[in-house]
Amino acid sequence: MYVGQAIRRREDERFLRGRGRFVEDITLDQPIAHAAFVRSPHAHAAVTRVDTAQAAAMPGVLAVLTGADWTAAGHGEAEGVWPVKDMSGAESRTAYRPLICVDGVIRCVGEIVAMVVAEDRHQALDAAEAVEVTYEEKPANTVTARALDPDTPLVHPGFGTNEVMVTEHGLKAETEAALANAHHVTEVVVPTNRVTAASMEPRAYLGHYDRVNDRYTVWTTNQAPHIVRRYFTKSLHIPEHKLRVIAPDVGGGFGMKLYHYPEEGLVLWGAIVCDRPVRWVGTRSECLLGDTHARDHYTVGRMGFDENGKILGVKFETLAAFGAYESQWQASITNAYHFTMLSCAYDIPAIHTTVRAVYTNATPVDAYRGAGRPEAVYQVERMIENGAQEMGIDPLELRARNLIPPEKFPYQTALGISYDSGDPPALMEKTKALADYDALRDEQAKLRAEGQWMGIGISAFFDMAGAGPVKMMNDLGAKVGCYDVASVRVHPDGRITVFAGSHSHGQGHETTWSQIAADRLGCDIDHIDLVEGDTDRVPMGIGTWGSRSLSTAGMAVYTAADRVVAKAKRLAAHMMECAPEDLDLADGEFTVKGTDRKLSFAAVANASYHSGDRPPDLEIGLEETSFFDPADCTYPSAIHLCVVMVDPETCAVTLRNYWAVDDVGTVINPMVLHGQVHGGLVQGIGQALMEECAYDAESGQYLSGTFMDYAIPHAEDVPSFGLDAHFTRALGNPLGAKGAGESGTIGAPACICNGVTDALWHLGVRQITQPMTPRKIWRAIEDAKRASH
Amino acid sequence: MKPARFRYLRAESVDDALQALADNPDAQILAGGQSLIAMMNLRLVKPACLIDINRIWNIGYIDEEGDGVAIGTLARHNDVKHSPLIRERCPLLTEAYESIAHHTVRNRGTLGGNLCHADPSSEAPAVMIAVGATLELMSVHGKREVGAEDFFLGTYETARRQGEMLTEIRIPGRGADGWAFAEISNRHGDFAIAVIATTLRLANGRCEVARVVASGVGEHAARLKPAEDALIGRPIDDARIDAAAAAAAGAVDPHSDSHADAAYRRDAIAALTRRTVSRAAERCG
Repeated sequence: MYVGQAIRRREDERFLRGRGRFVEDITLDQPIAHAAFVRSPHAHAAVTRVDTAQAAAMPGVLAVLTGADWTAAGHGEAEGVWPVKDMSGAESRTAYRPLICVDGVIRCVGEIVAMVVAEDRHQALDAAEAVEVTYEEKPANTVTARALDPDTPLVHPGFGTNEVMVTEHGLKAETEAALANAHHVTEVVVPTNRVTAASMEPRAYLGHYDRVNDRYTVWTTNQAPHIVRRYFTKSLHIPEHKLRVIAPDVGGGFGMKLYHYPEEGLVLWGAIVCDRPVRWVGTRSECLLGDTHARDHYTVGRMGFDENGKILGVKFETLAAFGAYESQWQASITNAYHFTMLSCAYDIPAIHTTVRAVYTNATPVDAYRGAGRPEAVYQVERMIENGAQEMGIDPLELRARNLIPPEKFPYQTALGISYDSGDPPALMEKTKALADYDALRDEQAKLRAEGQWMGIGISAFFDMAGAGPVKMMNDLGAKVGCYDVASVRVHPDGRITVFAGSHSHGQGHETTWSQIAADRLGCDIDHIDLVEGDTDRVPMGIGTWGSRSLSTAGMAVYTAADRVVAKAKRLAAHMMECAPEDLDLADGEFTVKGTDRKLSFAAVANASYHSGDRPPDLEIGLEETSFFDPADCTYPSAIHLCVVMVDPETCAVTLRNYWAVDDVGTVINPMVLHGQVHGGLVQGIGQALMEECAYDAESGQYLSGTFMDYAIPHAEDVPSFGLDAHFTRALGNPLGAKGAGESGTIGAPACICNGVTDALWHLGVRQITQPMTPRKIWRAIEDAKRASH
Repeated sequence: MKPARFRYLRAESVDDALQALADNPDAQILAGGQSLIAMMNLRLVKPACLIDINRIWNIGYIDEEGDGVAIGTLARHNDVKHSPLIRERCPLLTEAYESIAHHTVRNRGTLGGNLCHADPSSEAPAVMIAVGATLELMSVHGKREVGAEDFFLGTYETARRQGEMLTEIRIPGRGADGWAFAEISNRHGDFAIAVIATTLRLANGRCEVARVVASGVGEHAARLKPAEDALIGRPIDDARIDAAAAAAAGAVDPHSDSHADAAYRRDAIAALTRRTVSRAAERCG
């Protein structure tokens, strides 16, 4: 059995030796021209003049294209695959992100005004500097909390409001009643900071048009190449069958590389116009500005408890930033992934949430590792922490009293979602033991007496992973079918190629998909190759996002492999003159049960293609495809616990310990799982302590355009993680596996913020806005001092 | 190819570099390039000409000089950081290097380049002022020396004149002076929010000489004289340390930006002063 083994990642050989092949590495038999973009330095402005004459005359320049050219060519915009849906039935106010400014209005810094295509990158950049654009600046708003204030400038005046839509979920009357009757009510205002994925590989695109065959090709840093074809039907009006999308090795995506970015459409447009392949590779600054941003919620929450700390009801009112435009998957956060998870790991009888999505003059927000769930967990867990502190109940004990007991599974939340399996109390027991919780509380008391500020943070949650099923996701707003696809092709020599509609951008599918396939096919893992990321080779696919690949594409591999085995057994039985049920398949050989009669899998594979001696109703060949629609989402769960130390003088936070106990169902490869948890935790820690896409509140200017201004954690900023696991089986797929990609980012911000709050509670601090940099903590302490005087 | 177009000259010797500087008044010296190249790639600066001094073989030394140290301008940060001679004779600099940049930047970046860049939140300028270093500047017309205290004039602005190149950094012997460095940044190795570098000399239990130098809270690294005055002539006890901390906070006029506001920076300066003065006092003798 390969499943369950921590075998080394098969792809690492090429990555570690620098032999990965990324979009920037692609060579073609034609010289590749380069694109550079002229971007607005203003957050809100009218473009009154664009003069391209000087740039167009510069050396090496092939074309300078503007929004007027785009409109004249009849091109369109990128349509959402998860369009905004207002649950009240009212029409939502949708404005998709344009590929290039076509209406003379700039609505966020970095919006593209013109594209220069030149023979080389240097020439393109020089010419881009020579494009003269005259802007008439307008007042801008980048602050989510202010979006609906009466005097706030409108991002899209045609709508008459900055509100995109309102959605409401849960039990309104019951929640109001619960809060009215509660023994204690906690209220917390929690803004969730705006962050971005900051993938190691910047976004990059290469467009090519083959005029002879009338075929288009785009090489793209994307997580879902088949969906890219769908975007192009609307932006450049290219039919799906005429476009080949290739996503070669992709260096990190985290959701951020799911979308139809302006540059992706524009390079192909440039290739068509110039009759030359055109490439763009984003700089770090272009990416920190133009990659979709994430989170940016502003929530006011109220939670009611009875005298024993049992949660009676919780109410949320949230402003969710869209940024200047709607990005393609944005509404999956507000309409599917945020509200559904507001019960976390707790048995809460009444929940009600209202979300107002709003436009601001900022980069569009879209899904990023966790997408809605980190916000939800942060919002819930901040109230639980403060509630416990206010009521004088140990925070772990209060949580334990509210966890969903194992006998209540499948558990129906007050928001209508049903968690299939889990055992939160068991997770809590393991967490408590792993961290030696009681000893930590003793240490905290001792240190506090010495003037040292130690805090213990906890978060407990469920994740909704593994989208679909198709119908359920359609009902939540998806216009793409959330299934996935795999083909298993056995070659005449018995070796196997697996084609999958997922796309690994760091997850290690070449290893884990091969582990699944090798077990089902009874073969050596080295006899299997995996193909992903090419729409001309893989039949169809919905891609890798939302911790879904294993329970969709991985299960399609599983199912297609089983179909191959079933067919091969029929042929082998025919060849060995027995019944298919009498055959076992292992170690590359069919064996007749209870005998020593054997036939190699390779011989059967060869016969399937080249022998006329087969059952009359059996088709030639040995290849099967599965379109796998899972029976349910998966609901991984976890509990995180951390220890923070806050320096009383400088207010700097040191994250001293971090423990996480995850229930992800069946584990394919424990090493890959740990890699996922580690990476997610570091990103979650970054959100808690240092990451922020900051805008100047007055001018709307972007302040986080380099890694000197946008801090992501280094290895030395995080402790060695203490991990453990608990197993309950997922019911929606045959392997019983749950998604594992997002636990870290979902749990860490809440956990760490609770830890810092715990460390500073005795000083009167009740809430600190993330990222909790030294000056924010210092400010919170100063404010608390002032309030107590 | 992200920077704007520029001419590139490679100097093989110091004389070569000085002549190139004289011939090309629009030139900038390229040392480790860890700040300059990044700023050029962002097109924030567009020098018409670069004079690359990286091939000059004899200006990366770290040598004894009397009871002090002479450091060639091209000495790489990591060489200085790990130098046993520096650790012995200028441990303040070794301690500061725990907070200076990241490993890969230190591999390439140079002490001389860092001082000439004169970033207002940089650590090395504060250390140089605190230890009373002398900087040697050369041009085709000759050489002169400038005390570190007089070298830093403003944001990215130094006493180095057109045609001059920083060639050597001289650090005097430490004697029995105590020292301490402390910094606050949002992430270890990042640009500082606030820095204090302190050196102290005690005589008969009383503070004879004190240098309390701040960085990150003004246009350039500078001594906080009121804090020093609070210490001189007295024994270093808790009351003196608190007085110095309060004086330090009063002596700075920090700015606010997206990383920290002025009030926090001022409080941080007090905390760092308290820490460095008490640690430096312990290390005296």
